[in-house]
Amino acid sequence: MSDAAIITTNNVNLWYHEKHALQSVSIRVPRNRVTALIGPSGCGKSTLLRCFNRLNDLIDHVKITGEIKLDDENIHAPSTDVVTLRKKVGMVFQKPNPFPKSIYENVAYGPRVHGIRDKTELDRIVEDSLRHAAIWDEVKERLNDSALGLSGGQQQRLCIARTLAVEPEVILMDEPCSALDPIATAKIENLIERLKEDYTVIIVTHNMQQAARVSDYTGFMYLGKLIECGKTGQIFEHPKEELTENYITGRFG
Amino acid sequence: MIFTKKTGSAVTASTGTARLSFLKEQSIKTVFFFTAFFAVIVVTFILLFLLRDGYPIFSQVGILNFLLGPDWAPTAVIPLYGILPLIVGTLLVTLGAMVFAVPLSIGCAIYLSELASPRTKKVLKPAVELLAGIPSVVYGFFGLIVLTNFIRVSFDIPTGETWLAASVLLGIMALPTIISVSEDAISSVPHEYKEGSLAIGATRWQTISRVLVPAALSGIAAAVILGIGRVVGETMAVLMVAGNAAIIPEPIWNILSPLRTLTATLGIEMGEVSVGSEHYSALFGIAVVLLVITLIINLSAVAILRHLKEGRAQGPARKPLISSAAKESLARFGEIIGIAVLLIFLLAAAPWWLAALVLPVAGGWYFGRDRLSQNQIQMIAFGLVGLATVIVLAILVIILQDIVVHGLPALSWEFLTQPPKDLGRAGGIFPAIVGTLYLVLGAIAIALPLGVGAAIYLVEYTREGRITRLIRTGVDLLNGTPSIVFGLFGFAFIVLYLNVGVSLLAGQITLALMVLPTVIRTTEESLKNIPQSLREGSLALGATQWQTISRVVIPPAVPGIVTGAILSIGRAAGETAPIMFTAVVFSSRFLPDSVFEPVMALPYHLFILATNVPGSSTNKYGTALVLLLLVIGFYSVAIIVRTHFQNKARG
Repeated sequence: MSDAAIITTNNVNLWYHEKHALQSVSIRVPRNRVTALIGPSGCGKSTLLRCFNRLNDLIDHVKITGEIKLDDENIHAPSTDVVTLRKKVGMVFQKPNPFPKSIYENVAYGPRVHGIRDKTELDRIVEDSLRHAAIWDEVKERLNDSALGLSGGQQQRLCIARTLAVEPEVILMDEPCSALDPIATAKIENLIERLKEDYTVIIVTHNMQQAARVSDYTGFMYLGKLIECGKTGQIFEHPKEELTENYITGRFG
Repeated sequence: MIFTKKTGSAVTASTGTARLSFLKEQSIKTVFFFTAFFAVIVVTFILLFLLRDGYPIFSQVGILNFLLGPDWAPTAVIPLYGILPLIVGTLLVTLGAMVFAVPLSIGCAIYLSELASPRTKKVLKPAVELLAGIPSVVYGFFGLIVLTNFIRVSFDIPTGETWLAASVLLGIMALPTIISVSEDAISSVPHEYKEGSLAIGATRWQTISRVLVPAALSGIAAAVILGIGRVVGETMAVLMVAGNAAIIPEPIWNILSPLRTLTATLGIEMGEVSVGSEHYSALFGIAVVLLVITLIINLSAVAILRHLKEGRAQGPARKPLISSAAKESLARFGEIIGIAVLLIFLLAAAPWWLAALVLPVAGGWYFGRDRLSQNQIQMIAFGLVGLATVIVLAILVIILQDIVVHGLPALSWEFLTQPPKDLGRAGGIFPAIVGTLYLVLGAIAIALPLGVGAAIYLVEYTREGRITRLIRTGVDLLNGTPSIVFGLFGFAFIVLYLNVGVSLLAGQITLALMVLPTVIRTTEESLKNIPQSLREGSLALGATQWQTISRVVIPPAVPGIVTGAILSIGRAAGETAPIMFTAVVFSSRFLPDSVFEPVMALPYHLFILATNVPGSSTNKYGTALVLLLLVIGFYSVAIIVRTHFQNKARG
């Protein structure tokens, strides 16, 4: 991999209760690129993703060993503030999860909790984020309506806008299209393509075509291990590992 | 051919039995319908009888004069029947109780739902339930002995029986209701909201205060309204500590003034009034007013909770009730009101050291909060939330230890097995213990079949429709009716109209009506928990509906039903207001020979000892302890039954 890395993990192991869910995972995630994590259900790709913003902290009985670095800083170091980390590493979830607030308040929530009170500043951030997430034109007339009234695809783009409003460096996406129809999916995929100019995107998907379409790099995971990682073209056309080839050619899944 | 014939004859042979079983099914259904409709009948009867006996005063004095008249002097030479001071008293006590209880409850609910470890939670939740289990007369007793004394000494006033005492005591009594319903509301906010907020880099406190609590707000509102309902309907405790002067405090915010509530008036005067007099009618007029107030309060809480449940099930797409701008100005408005209330309180009543403490803290917070980091704010907030929880626990511990420490010396074999002597100053409480057991066992014997039948009808026999809605409303109304109103109804209808007389039976029926909603609800819950697949499996084998219900649905629901029954017994055992005009006498050396004789009962015995018999300190505490142990005993058995069967069900 030639591009400079923003996240690197070294020998990460994760246990959930007795289950060894991640087994010595070492991966480099290049800056300003889209990296896809693929693999069959339960292979640990979402778990790995949730390591990057330490959202696994919320779950009881989780033990993590190994090293995860963001910009050369260990995110598990005692000096790391998890709140600052999550500000730098945003996340979009599998199911759109807008708060039960207005569209405006959803996007303004992040900047507000980080201390921005100035109304014009907030207005600007909200508009920029919504534009960036390609949803501004659809909602600009009804910013004060409840976000829960939007369609699933709109809700997901709103959640992306909500993430952008915090100006993260990395955006984690956990199967962001699995609850959406094909048209909404296409919109999100276009959006991901544009996001990499300013952000690093890591996307978990079980849809291989999607990984092939949107990502620059792909990592294949199986039973808690990272089997192979490389440029997307290489992974899909000339996989080095037999397991990867079997998965991509649909021999199991 | 032969095959078809055979089947045909088998069907014909069974038509006769089929018709018979159809008739049987229909009659069973009809019986259940009547048990369910009973709640509606009772509510109607309560309203009719209160109105019948209250009507004369409305027609003589006029409704407006009755409601807004400034003087309540029913025994004066020229009697005056204006209940304005009583209404104001009720409102003020409720307001004060909420100022005390709401912050504590919400803090405690936040702690329970978001901060407590599972193990801590396992200890704290039963503790809060225990607070709900303490009978109101025991609260009143504690308030009379300990709380009023504390207030008298710390404010240096002649008597501690004040608005403040009533509000604090009723606030304590409202804590468990508000805590458990709000905790439920906060816990059931979808997990995704929390993850979404944390993933943006909000602190835990920001997530709680800006996402979780706002999302749970209507549930919390319902919790507060239910708490208000509890406070407004409470009789015995408030009667024992409020001072009961029928005046409007002067000035209106003087929390050290005595006052009198609607319920207390009924509790005090109902026992001494001559039946059929103007005064008697005025008391029933008060009961009507009280009933209307509590019905409105409870129905609105129920409506909010139901709306919430339905909204969640459908995936809500409704507009927010208030726009964000309006919300902001509301918050600012609230802030100003809060400061004003605080100032008035400090100027009017608080000792100087409190003012010296509160003002700098409030000022420092107001001007310094922008300089604090989010982590510091979180630490302060968690500190306050923890403090609220500690206070709630401390209250429980103080009450229990006071009663246990002072009550234990009184407990002896003689105390438990002898009748009272010298107006209860000496001797024991044997007849009261037995009387209470008779009362609650009789009550549950009446309420259980009716309640279980009603629940079976509601869950198994009908779809949601107009009739079920009517029945459910009836149950809700019954549930919200203050216990003193049951007492008045029992007196007017059972004792006088049915001519049963003041007797064990009248008390049992009155208590049965009071606990009926609890039985219906708990049974309904446990029936609903039986998976639909079981019913379908049974029906698919050709079992009739009644066979399915009696053999497949009810057996696994029994533990839930038993738990509900025991909880009802516990509740009934601690009640004073419903039995004090229908069933009890203060002193009786003997046990009743039949259900048509009056009995002694523990709560009433404690009430009279505490308020009317000076110098019986040990026996007061002893009675309080026995009552407490009895009620807590019932609750513990219920909890043990519940957990035992839960574990069993899990395998």
